Order: sequence, then C-alpha cells, then structure tokens
Amino acid sequence: MRIDVHQHLWSEPLVAALARRRLPPRVRRAPDGWWLDLAGEPPCQLELSSEDVGRRAALVHLDGVDRALVALSSPLGVESLDPDEAADVLDAFHAGAAALPAEFGAWASVPLRDLDGAVGELERRLAEGFAGLCLPAGALATPAAVERVAPLLDALERREAPLFVHPGPAPAEAHDVPPWWPALTDYVEGLHAAWHAFAAIGRRAHPRLTVVFAALAGGAPLHLERIAARGGPLASAFDPGLFYETSSYGTRMIEAMVRVVGVDQLVHGSDRPVVEPPDAKAIGPATWEALARANPARLLGARALAA
Amino acid sequence: MTADALEAFARELARARERWRHLVNHDPAQRTYGLLHHDADVMAWLICWMDDHDTGFHDHDGSAGAVAVIDGAVREDRLRLGAAPLQRVVRAGESFTFGPADIHRVRHAGRRPAVTIHAYSPPLWRMGAYEVDSSGALRRHSISYAEELRPLSAA
Repeated sequence: MRIDVHQHLWSEPLVAALARRRLPPRVRRAPDGWWLDLAGEPPCQLELSSEDVGRRAALVHLDGVDRALVALSSPLGVESLDPDEAADVLDAFHAGAAALPAEFGAWASVPLRDLDGAVGELERRLAEGFAGLCLPAGALATPAAVERVAPLLDALERREAPLFVHPGPAPAEAHDVPPWWPALTDYVEGLHAAWHAFAAIGRRAHPRLTVVFAALAGGAPLHLERIAARGGPLASAFDPGLFYETSSYGTRMIEAMVRVVGVDQLVHGSDRPVVEPPDAKAIGPATWEALARANPARLLGARALAA
Repeated sequence: MTADALEAFARELARARERWRHLVNHDPAQRTYGLLHHDADVMAWLICWMDDHDTGFHDHDGSAGAVAVIDGAVREDRLRLGAAPLQRVVRAGESFTFGPADIHRVRHAGRRPAVTIHAYSPPLWRMGAYEVDSSGALRRHSISYAEELRPLSAA
C-alpha cells in the first residue's frame, strides 16, 4: 500500500466546530467566502468548495497513492486551548476523520494543557484506529518540553504507534508580514528545535519510538557539520527510527536529505490541500517506491493497513 | 576513510556473522540488499547475488568503495577504451577496492549464490550508470544511489 502521511481536510464537523468559536482559532463566513482567523497569522481564505470528500479521495489515487493520513493543522493551536474549549474542536476533528472513506486514515490530536487527560484520550484514539499522535513542534521545542510530554511518548511506545511532529502553533502575535512568512521562518525554526530536542533527550528516554518530522524537519539533519562543530549529538541524523516527510520540497532538497539520512528514512507527504505534491516520477521510480511504500510501512507498522 | 581502512572495515563486517546473517536472502529475479551500517563517514550493505546478476557499468560519483566476498564469487570488469575490460574474479575470503574515478561492473560468477559486503566512504549518494547507444557512444546517466540499491518491487 502506498501512503501519503501528511494531508489536512476541512471536514464538515471540524468547520462547524471552528465556526461556533468567537475567538481565534475560528472560521467565519463573510460575503466573499469562508475565512480562517489565527492569532499569529493574517486571515486566510478557505477554499471549502474544493474540500468535497469524493474529490479529495479521487486526488489520493491521482497522486499515485492508496491512502492519505489527515492531521489536524497544528498552526490552529487547538491543542493548547483550555481543555473544555479544545475538546469541542478535537471531538469534531476525530468524528470528521473517522467518517472519511477508505482512502483516508488519520493522526490523533490531544489537548496538551491537561496531560493526564491527554494520555487517556490518546489511548482511546489509538484503540479507535488512529495511526498515531500528531504533536505541534512547539510541544517539543526544548529538552524540558520533551520531558513534559513524556507520558504521551511512553503511551505511543507501548502501543508501537508513531509520532508525527507538525509545524505549529502559529506565532503568538500577528506581525506585518506576508502570508508565506511563518512557513519559511517560525515553522522551519520550530521543526529544527523539535528535532534537536528529541536528539538531546527524547531518543534516550524513548528508545523504541518511531517519529516522523513534517517538511523534512526543515532540513535539520543537513546541518551535520555544524552539529559536530558545536558538540551536538550526531547520532540522530542516522537514527533508523526517525523519518522525514517531504511536503513542500522537491527533488533538490529530497536529494540533499538522501545524502545525509539515506533514502530509507524519507516518507512521502503532500500537505494537501495547503500545497501540491511534487511530481513523483521526477524523484525516480525506486526512490518513489521507498518513499511511498516501503518506508511508510516501517514507520507505521501494522497501522499502515489498519489506520 | 582511506582505501585500506575501508577494506579493513568491509572485511571486519564480513567476519561479524551476527550482523548480517538475518539479511541473507537470495532472489533469482534480482540482487537483494540490506543496510548494515550508516554514519557520517561510511555506509555498508550486504548484497546477495545469483544467476549471473549484473550491475552494468557504473561509477560511484564521489565515493570510494571496498567489497569483501563472504560466500560464492563475483567478477569485476574495469572499463577500458579500445580493449576488453580488465577482469578479475573475487572469491569467498577475498576483497577488493575501487576509487571514485573508477568505472566498473560487478557480476555474479559461478553456480553457487554469492554474498558480499560493500562499504562506501563518504556514504554513497549519486552514481553514474553507463549505457552504450546504437552508435557505440558511451552515455552516463546520473542516478541516486536509491535507484541502484533499493528494489522497485514491493518490499
């Protein structure tokens, strides 16, 4: 089975739950369409008309894969809301994801202010068939942050379920910046920090956990020489339990990552509908098989089929 | 890593049976590969050969390599202009090295399936795969190591 490990989908229950909110993160209907309000980003128009589930399922096949895993978009910041507020949106996200056709699986998300409750939530979602846990990179931003979420990582390890590290949350304050700014600054830096924090203490504490970083971890392993020069841990660049999904990147960056971490650690992710995936054929047929089939099977284990 | 150090590394891996025994898997349709080691300096693979499996002429771009034969035998051809390739057969217990500038072809030799250790430093990245076109001209295709070392069929 070929898998795209990174998509998002504005399901009807999720849009309805966000539309019930008065403060960001929320969606609102205006005369010119639907808009998404986040605290740290300029308002963004949502193309909900193209979110028809049948169309999105057809796109999965057109992309050359059999299944796509959808995640709650971490920049929304739902996980860090007050637990009661978060629960409404998270329940809607999981209900919407569970109702999708066989072309889709999904990553679970949990409220992060109440970690005791979050572990129970995670166990329940994994039992329901969710592929693993999606955490915002901000929840792993320092070694201390990795320690704080250790109960969640322990639960994943026990269940042999993977962790997906997604950029977010959006920066706390809106700046006068163009729309692409957070994706090329805050989110890249956030992925780097999460990758280094996991290298610093996460792997030692969770030796069997498999982790996939969105967007090639912002290219963090490419800094191999700098890591060595500054006394950082090199082993994470060659850790067979760390994977990197390819969204927003093309052949040049993918080749650069192949040079450092090797082809066996890369998995295909598209980040639809935010961006379009690269032309799979340009990567090379054997590389594509590794990224879409063999490597996701190692990342997800039995969950590749069950999700 | 120097050529001598790389050859010693490959021979040492060849002796460490517990590192690769579980990866020995012969497939009549194609060579099979198992990654044994990967760090900043060196990458090593176990390769299983049978039935005249053939790499075709290729180079390793910026990487040097060493091959240690564990079982069976392989034949190496070094490409020459205007002359037949230089050939040698390398048998169990023997090893050989090549540099980034060398163009060679490795084939399974004999009837017994072969098992070999291949170490590359710096880790293999790009490769050149050679074909001879209908006019006899030699053409080099730049490929990722993944296209050579990763199977096309379902794992």
